[in-house]
Amino acid sequence: MKQGIILFLLLCLPSLSGYAFAESNIESRIRTLEETLKKQEETIKAQQKMINEMKEQIKKNEIATIPEGKEISTEIKKETKATGLFGGSALSNPNISLVLNTYAYSSNLTTDELKNRGISGYTTEGLDRRNGFNLDSAELAFYAPVDPYFNLYATIPVTEDGVEIEEAYFVTTALPQGNQIKAGKFKSGFGRLNSQHSHVWDFVDNPLPYRAFISSDDSGIDEKGIQYTYIPPLPFYTILGVEVLQGENKTLFGSDAAGGAHAYTAFAKASLDISDNSTILFGPSVITGKTKTDTIQTNSDFTGDTTLYGLEFTYKWKPTKYQGFKVQSEYLYRTQFGNLTDLNPGGIMKRLDRNQDGLYVQGVYLWNCWEFGVRYDTLSLFKDDYILNGVKQDQGRRPWRITGMADYTFSEFSLLRLQYNHDESDVTGKPNDELFLQLIFTIGAHPAHQF
Amino acid sequence: MKKLLITILIMFTFATPALARVNIVATLPWIGSLANDLGKDKVNIKILVKPYQDPHQIEAKPSMILAARDADMLIYNGLDLEIGYLPLIIESSRNPKIQPGQRGNLDCSQFINVIEKHETADRSMGDVHPLGNPHYHLAAQNILGVARGMTQALCNLDQEQASFYKSNLAFFEATLKEKQKQWAQISLKGKRFVAYHRFFEYLAQEFGFQIVGYVEEKPGIPPSAGYIEKLIEDMKRLKPDAIITTTYYGKDEINALSQKIGVKSIVLPHDVGSAPGVNDWFSLMDTVLKSLQ
Repeated sequence: MKQGIILFLLLCLPSLSGYAFAESNIESRIRTLEETLKKQEETIKAQQKMINEMKEQIKKNEIATIPEGKEISTEIKKETKATGLFGGSALSNPNISLVLNTYAYSSNLTTDELKNRGISGYTTEGLDRRNGFNLDSAELAFYAPVDPYFNLYATIPVTEDGVEIEEAYFVTTALPQGNQIKAGKFKSGFGRLNSQHSHVWDFVDNPLPYRAFISSDDSGIDEKGIQYTYIPPLPFYTILGVEVLQGENKTLFGSDAAGGAHAYTAFAKASLDISDNSTILFGPSVITGKTKTDTIQTNSDFTGDTTLYGLEFTYKWKPTKYQGFKVQSEYLYRTQFGNLTDLNPGGIMKRLDRNQDGLYVQGVYLWNCWEFGVRYDTLSLFKDDYILNGVKQDQGRRPWRITGMADYTFSEFSLLRLQYNHDESDVTGKPNDELFLQLIFTIGAHPAHQF
Repeated sequence: MKKLLITILIMFTFATPALARVNIVATLPWIGSLANDLGKDKVNIKILVKPYQDPHQIEAKPSMILAARDADMLIYNGLDLEIGYLPLIIESSRNPKIQPGQRGNLDCSQFINVIEKHETADRSMGDVHPLGNPHYHLAAQNILGVARGMTQALCNLDQEQASFYKSNLAFFEATLKEKQKQWAQISLKGKRFVAYHRFFEYLAQEFGFQIVGYVEEKPGIPPSAGYIEKLIEDMKRLKPDAIITTTYYGKDEINALSQKIGVKSIVLPHDVGSAPGVNDWFSLMDTVLKSLQ
């Protein structure tokens, strides 16, 4: 408004002066100019007064309306601007990433000895590693929102043996506050390491309790099924979950153990921020189901029931990008009962009861681009019952292992890791001294990792 | 029974005013501060990132998921700055109100004019943000846009209080105008700085100073020794007025450089709360501009 008036006056000025020139009377010209100036001054004063009044009003918060010419732009520009949340457009293509996980390996044992290296009393499954170069996988991951109701994820590791579907599941995004359903094939929420992809683990391999109770390799409880989780409205973070799973995990259940889905999971996790920089996460898990497996003793079949209990604890302190400390531990306890049938000629069926446990504790210190970690894992910690027809079998001394690790992060997309294990898990055989040099690379748009 | 009913009734009477407040979760402190200026006592604000934390390096903590679970509105910076944790928090929040595309999901970057977009970017270039430079909050023009957009979003969500939010915006705009008059007295035109990270580009644009070099060789990647040597040579030639960085990183590096070359180093607060006396966006700008003088 003020600007308009000034502009108008400015426009008037030349015509006024033109008039004065015509008169060729300088005095009258000056007078006219003076009058104009006076008028201008008055206008400006009046304007200023108005502005001051308006300011006063605004300050008193008395007016709810916006001053003239200051209408809030009502349109929120939705047009073509990409939102910065998922990075660009995921309409034409889902977000795609590839994680290459590869390692060089050296052990005092031969590749055959490694393959047959079970943990007696626990599992006959050996280690699938070769002295020399190993390609764990090149893992493709896809994710994108499906529509306003679902997000879809698929993890497809490509190995030298072929293509697998490790995970392919949807999660709901529109259920009432606190509720979520995940279904398809996915890593179970049981425990801590299990739900993580192995490339985010702090160590190359899984700890002994996982090897003994869940799976010899890093696949874990990775099942077709459905999961329901709920975050209750509590003052601290808690998540409660239940799952119904097909139960095809070879170590725990086996695909032929029952006609339909035959494994059930329940878990609860709670988390507290002890300070701005340190957080703990802890909780129990349980998984139970029907079992039919041949991994307990060579040339034997087992049918029965298995329940695995887990307790997890994680403490993380991370004040800056370049400094941090993490302690993580899980305790697993497995109870199993059923019939063990010796498949050798003349073999008989015996009643088997197993109540066994295991624990791992690991700590990792972060310093600049380096991480240094130690891990201790063991089995038969408090319980070591392997009972055949009511007679407890002696399994010898306690299996254990100690690990040292150092890794270097070039950027958040590349990592070089050196790890040494001294493994005394095979109580009848030799210790396994193994050295890994692992490289992990990520390209593309990889989904953010869980805490 | 009667007593129980009365207790429940009382509980509801007391609970209602709390329920009426809009629960806002803001990623960065300046966003929370702005939301507070506009929402005042009609909103509850939780801020995910602490003032002293590096906004690029945030991990999705369970407590953040819990905060997002109860949010009516999630307000974030955008331009990929929160890509490392926010998508996960949104999904894990199990809160339909703040999902992308909903009224409770507000990306502030849609209200600004983005600079430094990279049509072709790959990670060999470091931590480049292809959608543009995400550090846009040190610029009055951008904040004005965000404040208006945020007010509109608040009005859409909480129509009953629309006039309240609008009058708060009017006050914010009036204050901004006053402040801009003060800031116009500060002359930074023609000044030349070397910065640690690409953090001050919008500010430079608004106040007419130049950033003639960066301590980081590539965004987000610490400089190599060779690069620092070259930078020292460049700085001897360019003679910048100062080397600048933010409170959360680069302090040691710029101090070392400053001692070596005899150019002064300035540590600027990068966000609300990251230095004493910086308790809202205006005092943040005041401090930054005063320090650069």
